[in-house]
Formats: sequence, structure tokens, C-alpha cells
Amino acid sequence: MSVTFRLNGQTTRFHDDPMTPLIDVLRREKFLTGAKPVCREGFCGACTVQVDGEAQMACLKPMGLLDGREVTTIEGLGNGREPLHPLQVAFAAADVVQCGMCFPGMVMALSAFVRDHPEADRTAIKTAMVGNICRCTGYERIIDAVVDHLKDGAAPKAELADV
Amino acid sequence: MSQSVERQFAVADSIDAALSARRSGAAVLAGGTWMMRDPRRGHDLPDAVVVLSGLSGMTDIAIDPDEVVVGASVTHEALADALRGSAGFEGVVVAAEGAANPAIRRVATVGGNLCTPDFSAADLVPAFLAYGAMVELATPERTLILNMAEFLKQRRELLRTAILTRIHLRRDVAASAHARLPLRKAGDYPVAIVSVAVDGEGAIRIAVGSVEEQARRWTSLENALTRLPGLPASPERAAELAREHMDFSGRDGVEAEGWYRCQVLPALVRRAFACLPKLETRA
Ligand SMILES: Cc1cc2nc3c(=O)[nH]c(=O)nc-3n(C[C@H](O)[C@H](O)[C@H](O)COP(=O)(O)OP(=O)(O)OC[C@H]3O[C@@H](n4cnc5c(N)ncnc54)[C@H](O)[C@@H]3O)c2cc1C
Ligand code: FES
Ligand code: FES
Repeated sequence: MSVTFRLNGQTTRFHDDPMTPLIDVLRREKFLTGAKPVCREGFCGACTVQVDGEAQMACLKPMGLLDGREVTTIEGLGNGREPLHPLQVAFAAADVVQCGMCFPGMVMALSAFVRDHPEADRTAIKTAMVGNICRCTGYERIIDAVVDHLKDGAAPKAELADV
Repeated sequence: MSQSVERQFAVADSIDAALSARRSGAAVLAGGTWMMRDPRRGHDLPDAVVVLSGLSGMTDIAIDPDEVVVGASVTHEALADALRGSAGFEGVVVAAEGAANPAIRRVATVGGNLCTPDFSAADLVPAFLAYGAMVELATPERTLILNMAEFLKQRRELLRTAILTRIHLRRDVAASAHARLPLRKAGDYPVAIVSVAVDGEGAIRIAVGSVEEQARRWTSLENALTRLPGLPASPERAAELAREHMDFSGRDGVEAEGWYRCQVLPALVRRAFACLPKLETRA
């Protein structure tokens, strides 16, 4: 089966088994290794990407369901050479990242969440993070950084060098 | 990534086309949150799948004064968003917005939740059972409308050929609640679920999920509660009666043993009754 979709703004085609999980195509064919296959069961959130702007688990997304869709990965959100997403800037500024395994997924889930809920409070942020497990940070500093980011409003995109 | 025989992936443009694909052996693919984990359970993915979400009405929720009709491809998130704040649907909303995690709720469908007979911990099943939902199925011969208990009884057999198309929710429920006990070691699946609904006449329906293989009504407790003066009972009294009328044999699983699932039921009954909106103070 042939599937045409947009990946980080570029039209791309996939010709293979339509039940292939998106995570495998991203990592093995497109060499986009930001999203991580950790549990492959929808529980950990390390594989989170955005499909049509909504955070979804790439490990459970069959390629056949992506025809005509827009997929954004952490590489599409900010690759380090271009301005970072303001939430990435907030995470870097607050030095919240430890091993970093969960962070591509965390950023993809929370960047969609803050876009849709600019008034969110701590409880709402925690609820939004339920599907993104972090074994290192204890979560509180991540939540602090999201709260600070929302307090600052829509901060302009910043260069990594500015942080 | 390649498999030796090419897999069939059909996007149905009519219910007849979907039924015909089913007859030729295609499985329905909805959000894929259950099916995509088949290989983790040691099963192969189906050789052929058919997708229904393009069919008219499948992703719609029609809210009328007498009835709410939910398409089978509606996601948990969309269901909770549509019914939040509507009197009587409190339990259905808690079930839809409490299941899984936000990214899963965004894709997991009502149809997928109801059409997975091997999944005992489905939240919407007891919520719809207590609510008194009717299930609409397209079969090769005709359209069938069944109550939830009938559907669950025949589910495995029916789903060999039928497709679930809609859920009908009559608007005669005055208040409802859904209490669940998720456990981290159960992958956050609920190890026991209690759903309660009270209709305009004061009749109580209670459904229990995840305790036995299949969700069912707790009729002995319903009858005991109905005999009490003044409805609904206090949460404490409801929990006492739940202990007296315990008639479940819990299923043993790696995530929880059967006795434990039964032992937590009275506490879940208490919680559900405590969450039940007060009928006399409602608009
Ligand atoms: C991390 C995680 C946590 C979860 N936690 C919960 C939870 O707390 N509570 C809960 O209830 N569930 C939970 N689930 C299970 C998941 O929500 C359900 O399996 C989901 O509703 C399935 O929906 P789907 O659309 O993804 O179904 P799919 O995976 O696409 O399909 C599931 C089955 O239903 C059949 N099917 C689907 N639609 C139809 C139809 N219209 N007609 C006939 N057959 C059909 C398919 O053929 C397949 O056999 C969890 C899942 C994950 C991954
Ligand atoms: S790898 Fe997808 S949720 Fe864990
Ligand atoms: S920083 Fe290590 S898992 Fe989150």
C-alpha cells in the first residue's frame, strides 16, 4: 500500500505494510530518532508525535491511517539549528532535562497542550502529562517550567544560543 | 518491515462495502490502540483490515432532547467533550475521560472499547450497561438494536460478521457516576469498576467491570437498594449493602487477584454513590 503524508512540512510517501507502526518508519526509514520506542504499548509516551497538531503515540499508529495527514516530530518542532519552540527554551532555561529519554515525547505532548490551554493551571498540566512517564525528574520541575512558560505568555522563538 | 503477503487495507465508503470486507475476513481497524498491540500479546496482526471512520455518521454525536446517538468511531476524548456538563451523563463522561491517557483517548474509539471481548477492564462497557444504552449493529442480513446485556452475551458470535455502528443513549437517566480503581502495576488499567445510574423514576442500575471476565449488572444490590426508603441510598449504606450482597467471583490476573477485585467493590460503590449528583438540587 502507498501512503502519502506530510512529515515535518515535507510531502513524503511510504510504500510497505500499512500496519507498520509510525515509530518504526520515523526511526528506521527517515532516521528521525527523537521519538523513542520504549514500551510500544501506549503507556510511556516516549514516542509521542503530533498528527494534525494533536499529540498521539507513534508506536500504536499504523501507517495506513496516516494518508493525507500531517506528522510533526520533535525534529520538526526545533532541530537546534533553528529557533527552538518556546517550551523547549523554557525547559532548557530551567535545566529540567536529566537523561532526556522522555523529553522528545514530553515536549510534543506539552507543546500541543499549552497551545490549546494557555490558561492551564498546575492540576491541568499534571493531567495532561499522565501519559508521559519520566523516570528521572520527579516531574515537579517540568511542571514549574510549563507554569513559567505560560506565565510569560507567547514568548518569541529563541535561539538555543540565547538560552 | 515488509511481510511476505501484502496486507489488505481498505477504507470503506459504504456500510455494505465494510460488511463485504468483513465477510472476506477483514477485521475492523478503528483507533488501533488495542489491535496494534496484538504482536505484544503473541498474535499476528490481521491480514486484512477495513477502516470505518469515513462512513457517514460514524464520527458524529447527535444530541437531541430525547436521545443522544454516538457513532462507533467517536473517540473517548470527543465523547467526554460532547457530554461534559449534560445532566445524567456524568458516569459516561468520567469513564471516557478517565480511561487510559490523553494521547490514547484522542484516538481510541467507543466501537473499539465495546468490541474487544478479551478486554475485561473496558471502562465504557459498565458505564453504558448502567446507563441503559442500546447498541446498533449492521449485520449482513439487517440492522440490529440490542440492549447492552444482550450485546455482551452475544458479542463474540455477533462480531464475527457484524459491525457496531452506533450507541443510543435515551435521556431518561437523571444522574450517574463511575468509580474505578486503576493500579500502576496493572498498567493503570482499572482492576475494578462500578458504574451507577439512576433514572427519572428513581430506578437504580449498577454495573461492575473488570472483576469478572465480562462486565455485568449487580442486580442483587440494585434490588436491595430499591427496597430502601428514599433514593438514592447514602454512600455508606450502599457500601454496607454491597458487602452483604457480594456475589462476584473475581478473575485472577497478573495485575490483581480475584479476591482483591471483590474486596474493593464496596469502597467503589461508596465512592460512586458519593459522586452521584444530588437529584433534588439539580436543574
Ligand atoms: C496505554 C493504554 C491504556 C488503556 N487504558 C484503558 C482504560 O483505562 N480503560 C479502558 O477502557 N481502556 C483502556 N485502554 C484500551 C483502549 O482504550 C481500548 O482498547 C480502546 O477503546 C480500543 O479502541 P480502538 O479504537 O483503538 O480499537 P482498535 O484497536 O482499532 O480495535 C479494537 C477491537 O475492536 C474491533 N472493532 C473496533 N471498532 C469496531 C466496530 N465499529 N465494529 C466491530 N468491531 C470493531 C476491532 O476489530 C478490534 O478487534 C488502554 C489502551 C492503552 C494503549
Ligand atoms: S513507546 Fe509508545 S507509548 Fe511507550
Ligand atoms: S529525564 Fe530521564 S526519563 Fe525523563
